[in-house]
Order: sequence, then C-alpha cells, then structure tokens
Amino acid sequence: MKNFKEVAIGIILTFFLFTVLLKISFSLTQIFNVFSLLVIYFALSKGEVYGAFLGTICGLIYDSFSLGVFGVAGLSKTITGFIAGYVSRKINVTPFLRRFVFIFILISLELILWTFFYSYIFKEKLNTGKGALLFQPLVTAFIGSLVFSIIRRLRRKAFQD
Amino acid sequence: MPFFLKTKKNLIILSVLILFHLVLISIQIPLGEEGNYFEKVIFSILSPMQHGVVSFFRKIGELWNGYFDLRDVQSQNEKMRKEIFDLSQKNHLLMNYIRKLESENETQDALQDMYKSILPAHVISLDFSNYFKSIIINRGSLDGIRKDMVVLDRYGYLVGRIIGPISLKEAKVQLITDNDSGTSVFTQEKKIWGILTGDGKGQCLLKYILMSEEEVRKGERIFTSGYDGIYPKGIDVGKIVSIEETTDLFKKIIVKPYFEFRNLDQLAVIRINFKELF
Repeated sequence: MKNFKEVAIGIILTFFLFTVLLKISFSLTQIFNVFSLLVIYFALSKGEVYGAFLGTICGLIYDSFSLGVFGVAGLSKTITGFIAGYVSRKINVTPFLRRFVFIFILISLELILWTFFYSYIFKEKLNTGKGALLFQPLVTAFIGSLVFSIIRRLRRKAFQD
Repeated sequence: MPFFLKTKKNLIILSVLILFHLVLISIQIPLGEEGNYFEKVIFSILSPMQHGVVSFFRKIGELWNGYFDLRDVQSQNEKMRKEIFDLSQKNHLLMNYIRKLESENETQDALQDMYKSILPAHVISLDFSNYFKSIIINRGSLDGIRKDMVVLDRYGYLVGRIIGPISLKEAKVQLITDNDSGTSVFTQEKKIWGILTGDGKGQCLLKYILMSEEEVRKGERIFTSGYDGIYPKGIDVGKIVSIEETTDLFKKIIVKPYFEFRNLDQLAVIRINFKELF
C-alpha cells in the first residue's frame, strides 16, 4: 500500500511538472523527459517489475495526450523501465558519473525504440523540434543524476536525524 | 525464492506487458478515428488535472498582467473603441448585404444561430509527441462539444476540428498541420480544388494539383470548399508559399496556414456540426 501511494504521488507530481514545462515551452518537454526519469527512479529503487509497470502507466499517459497509435510510448518505456531495474541490480550505479552514463544510455535506448516504433507504424519521420529531441538523453541524464543525488542525500540525512 | 526463478517470473511479467502493448497497438491498425477505451479513460482522468494546473497559472498570469495593464489602460481603451467602431461598421455593411439576399426574419435567425454557436476556448495542452498534430482545449461535452466541430483561431482562421477523446470539460483538436488531416480547399483566384494535409512541421501541402495546371500562383489565398462535409465553405486557411515542379503527376505546393502557433491560446469552437447539415 505504501509503495502504491509512492507511485501514485510520483505520477501526479510528474504529470504536474510536465504540464508546467509544457506551459512554459514545448521544447522543454522535448529536452527533458520527466516521465522516463520517474520510471528509472522507481526501477532503481524498487526493481525491474516496478520499472516495467510504471513504464506502462507513464507511457500510456503520454500516449493518451498525443494523436496516433495508443501504446507506442508505453512499449518503449516498459522495456526501458525493465532494463533499468535489471541492470541496476547487476552493477552499482550510485556514483554520480556512473549514474549519469547509465541514465544517458537508458534515455538514448528509449528514444531509439520510440523513434523506431513511431517511424514503423506512422511511416513518417519524427519531429525532432529542430534537433532539441537529440539533446534529451544528455539533459535528462544530467538533471536525473543531480536530482537522484539530492534525494539520496536528503534520505541519508533524515535517517541520521 | 531462488534468484533464477525470480528472474524468470520477472521476464514473464515483462513479456505479458509487451504482449499487452502489441495487442493494444494491433487493434488500432489500420489507423482509425475512434479512440481506444483505455485512452479515453486515462484522458478523462488526467485532463481535468492538466486543466486545473493551466488555469491556476493563467490566473496568476492574469493578475500579474492586470497590474501592468492598468498603466496603459487609457491608450488601450481608445484603440479598442476605434476597433469596435470599425468592426461595427463592417458588421453593419454585412448585415445590409445579407438582408438583400434573404428576408429579414431569416437573416436575423441565421445570425442569432451563428452568434450562439461560437464558443470561446483556451488551449490547455499540446500534443506530447508532435505539437503540430493536435491540441487539447478547455471545452468538453458539458459545453456541447461534439466530434467534427470546427475550430478557428481568434482572427477566424481555420485551426482544425474536434476529434476524440472528449471528456466533460476537455477535448482534443486535430490541427490542419497534422499529416493525417485532410481538408477540401480551393484557391482564391481560379477556384482550383485540392486536398490540404499537414506536413507535420507546421505547414501544409496542397495535394492533387496536376503538373499541367498553370493557374495556381505563389501568394494565393486558400479557402475551405465545404466538399469534405466537415468544414463549411469559405473559411480562410492560409496562403501558398511555394510551388515546386516534380517528376510526379502532381505539383508540390506548400501552404502556410494563417494561424500562428504562438497566438494559439484563444480559440473559437463553432458548435454546429456541418457534417450533419450536408
């Protein structure tokens, strides 16, 4: 029940943040993949099953607010979420730089999968927002590593207190 | 539980989820207009939340702007008075012109119906995957919104049409710049008919104009023809910005829509379903 609450709050906060970013500028949502970051966060902290399930939920939310085939983003986020949880159990991704590279690879993978499914189904090129989309792995990895480090520190501090 | 069994179980869960997505995708192909049931549910749950967030920020923005607007309210008032005067004159002239065509009662009824059918709306969200495809507006089934209703920008230029999903207070609009959209249009001068689709990059393509057609010119305005049974005849759509000769049967004609993405905040939904009138 506690896990379910955490996931629900995480989704609501992410959706809120996404809406605010979208209101400021669409490009911000292209260079910063906030939904995938949530998926990776839960995959790292709770394992690959959580990652896959949250990938499904976040992907379907993403799909329901875009025109076209429902499930494309869901599929790529599910695979990414599972891989994130699985690999993080095999290697230690706690150090900042290692976590940065890890998130960078995962977001790149998700972008490749999404582009592949999108192009395959729609038979059209993806709108990269004048190249802004290509910066998504880099920006998301940097912000993600930073946020995860801050959360870790805060938790450690709360535990010590 | 042993590690290999746990991994196997996890892989089964992943396989089920992937299969679920593949089935979900498969049942929508060939691409149909009807929204998926899951999509409708998620949209109905989350779009009010998005509506709330956007409304909250709009209110803050209005308060902030309201303070600064007070400073030049005098000059704004004068400017608006002049605009109202111009518009009233135009309206008056149009009314007189229409009266010549029909009886007064019919004219009054038609104008009343038309005025009542205009519903102002705001954009609350863009398409997550490609913002040239669709937008979400703050009007839904409670406001009388239905599928295929026409959406115009604040200046009366064509923006798109309502598609599903439609929730109680939110609805999705397919833009004319979407690759999958189709609008029957004609050119201003020689009334040459064609189909307008989006290019997915913010502009439109005027299709099915033969290479032998010489009378389509750059800079010409494009209007809806009404033949598609969705958009009424005569709505301003855009203008031709380039005409390219190709090796195909048809010319490649690029049309720049009149509506601006930057000014797409306020819209007007025409609550008449023209499809039902045809």
